[in-house]
Amino acid sequence: MSTSNRDLAKEFLSTGSGKLGTALFIMLLAISVFVIATYPLDFGTRIWSNPKVWEDNPKAVPPIWINAFDDFARAEHRVFVLTEPSSARVLGGGMELIYSFGFDYTADEFPSFLSFTINEVRYFQDPPFVTLSMVRPDNTEVIIYRELVTGPRQDEVLPIIRYKDSPKRVNLGGASLVETNVARFLEDILMRDVSTREVEGKIEEILLGSIAAGEQLESLEVLKGEYLMRVRFVTFDQRDSTEGVKFVLGGSVFGLMGTDIIGRDLMVGLLYGFPVALGIGIITAVLTTTIGTIGGIVSGYVGGKTDTALQRTSDILSNIPLLPLLIFLIFILGPRLWLVVVVLIIFGWPGLTIIVRSMVLQLRSGQSVEAARALGASRSRIMSKHLFPQIAPFIFAQMVFTVPGAILAEAGLSFLGLGDPSIPTWGQLLQSGFTSGAVYIGLWWWVLPPGLLIVLTAMIFVFLALGVEPVINPKLRRVA
Amino acid sequence: MTLVKTLAMRGLTLFGALIAVLVLAVVVLGATGFSDNLLNAIVSEELRGLRQSLAQNFRDPVELENVISLRREELRVFYGLDTPWYFRLPAMVLRVLTLDLGEARTLRSFAGSNRVIDLVLERLPNTILLLTSATVITSIIGLYVGVKLATQVGSKAERGSSYLSAFSYALPAWWMGVLMIIVFAFQFRLLPSGGMFSAPPPEGPLARFLDVLWHAILPVTTLVIVSVGSWIFTVRTMVLNTSQEDFVTVARAKGIPENKVMNRHIIRVAAPPIVTFLILGFAGSLGGAILTETVFAWPGMGRLFYDAILTGEESVIIALTFMFTLIYVIARFILEVLYVLLDPRVRY
Repeated sequence: MSTSNRDLAKEFLSTGSGKLGTALFIMLLAISVFVIATYPLDFGTRIWSNPKVWEDNPKAVPPIWINAFDDFARAEHRVFVLTEPSSARVLGGGMELIYSFGFDYTADEFPSFLSFTINEVRYFQDPPFVTLSMVRPDNTEVIIYRELVTGPRQDEVLPIIRYKDSPKRVNLGGASLVETNVARFLEDILMRDVSTREVEGKIEEILLGSIAAGEQLESLEVLKGEYLMRVRFVTFDQRDSTEGVKFVLGGSVFGLMGTDIIGRDLMVGLLYGFPVALGIGIITAVLTTTIGTIGGIVSGYVGGKTDTALQRTSDILSNIPLLPLLIFLIFILGPRLWLVVVVLIIFGWPGLTIIVRSMVLQLRSGQSVEAARALGASRSRIMSKHLFPQIAPFIFAQMVFTVPGAILAEAGLSFLGLGDPSIPTWGQLLQSGFTSGAVYIGLWWWVLPPGLLIVLTAMIFVFLALGVEPVINPKLRRVA
Repeated sequence: MTLVKTLAMRGLTLFGALIAVLVLAVVVLGATGFSDNLLNAIVSEELRGLRQSLAQNFRDPVELENVISLRREELRVFYGLDTPWYFRLPAMVLRVLTLDLGEARTLRSFAGSNRVIDLVLERLPNTILLLTSATVITSIIGLYVGVKLATQVGSKAERGSSYLSAFSYALPAWWMGVLMIIVFAFQFRLLPSGGMFSAPPPEGPLARFLDVLWHAILPVTTLVIVSVGSWIFTVRTMVLNTSQEDFVTVARAKGIPENKVMNRHIIRVAAPPIVTFLILGFAGSLGGAILTETVFAWPGMGRLFYDAILTGEESVIIALTFMFTLIYVIARFILEVLYVLLDPRVRY
């Protein structure tokens, strides 16, 4: 038996589709293992569906690599996280902590937004004072933002902790204090009065634009070059401490796969889809074929009333159109992934049972079965040791072929908005893209990759099944 | 006699499938309390109307409450809310079977009716139109290419057809539709992205017909693309299988010209299973229409299903689940009859 199995495997791998299918399947498996090992268990609810996590990402922007196809350099997304101050010195009774960093701005357009975040701050007396300033390539300096950390409440115990669970995030383009500061900065350069109305909505353009005296604010050019950023904490007690700051230059391209309309990194979601799709497909396939095979063998070998009952049930179940009923059940019972799998199994096994039964009917009068019966082998022994091994290769091919059906069914269901919200799948990515109109405004990076992955995964299993077929059915070898 | 018996048996099985779906639906609705909630909502809706109209006549609030609670009891008995859901089950199944499908809350037919049956019947022709034209085009291409491939065993195209079929199987129609919209409607702006008519629809029957045709190009092409691969492969395999039979060899040995062997001996024998696949394909594409119509905003039953999911219209969802099963079962039965007519062997 073991040599013949090895021969079968060899024969399987000798086919083109078998080789291709196996190689790609190993790739699928590797990605899935990586995701399971690195993603948290509650990824769907805690990370994916939590808009706070994606706050600092640009919304609905294409992937970075599209810059390679175009002369126009789109602004890349850049995040600066500083946890340790670059310099610290004693100042009066307290400290002066300075976080400084720089960046070389080379894009042909302005950043889509600027954000500044202050992490946890602890203080013992008066609240610390934070200043964000920038030295531009033309050596002008702008004080962009000032923040006095919220003061102590009555009877609050020391040290006073601020911004611990929800860091203080400021969208610089929309803060009125920033507008005032930027207007003052412009007054110095343009030598005229500048109202905050004039700079409203143009914060990014002014901060990173080339401004000379008398220039119009309507059509500013990007000022390329080295920018130096400085965040200055002034504290009033030497024990005061901070957990650092974060500064984001919002891009108009992001990551390897771009982002969706609430700024989610699509790469993260696409990767998560691998183990989910594989899980849905394999669990459904294994259980469907197990039940279907047992049903078919019992029905064919035991016969009588059992046979009639099983065959009538299978006939009826296999004549039901699956998708409408699946939609109905999931709509009423709630969008849960395990429920989808259960329904797919319930309506999936009868088809196989009917085929297996007809195979068993042929085999039961065969010599090996007769001989076993003559030797007094029990019914269950004949079914498991004599009938099953003969049909096992066929069952295996059927199992492989069930996988893509299950994956496609789940994807279709998710696309209709009936996906399990706690477990993001490729179908759901597509659905969110479709319902938010991504298709009609050309956000291709949102809808193409998940669909491609669904097709690719389904195709891998079809290829595997195609490779298995000539191995178990020698008649096909002559034809193909 | 046997012919009638075979058909009756098949008919009974198919009817069984229909009843099974209905019973399952009713049990799920009852056991989850969905049905109770639905009927309670109807009762409170009626009572709210009553309260408004009575409020002018009754001065005494206590008396008003009495009348209302009396009416509530009446309504509860009328809708069967005083008995557990499983006693209402047979009546419910019977109602749906006689196409008494209830009323929709927010969805309206194009003519403004809120009766579910009107909604469904209005959409039905659109779905049939879309699916039949796609099936006809697919089968013509499939028959032509499939037979051609079967005569060229071992050629590159013939061997490639199995890959084409694999691709076809793995390609969901709805995603293909999304692709088509992005390329032809968004990128090149050649064709409309969805709907069945331009807004406003053109005057005159000919112009309207052309307008529908114009809107049908993308969805029909999509359906053809995703199903034609496996079709070609099926036809090829069936024709190949038949051409390896002994009687074909005999015919060739007799010196009958090759094209006559193909037409008279091979295709005629391979026809019944091919027809089976054709109708099975049509029946199978019914469920898929839910997704395809959703993508192309095609105003058929599938799109109605999607709209009903979005608005949470239980009665429409139940009705459509039933209607889809009904049409599927009818298509399957037509297939059985055709099969018996085409293949004399089935009768004996």
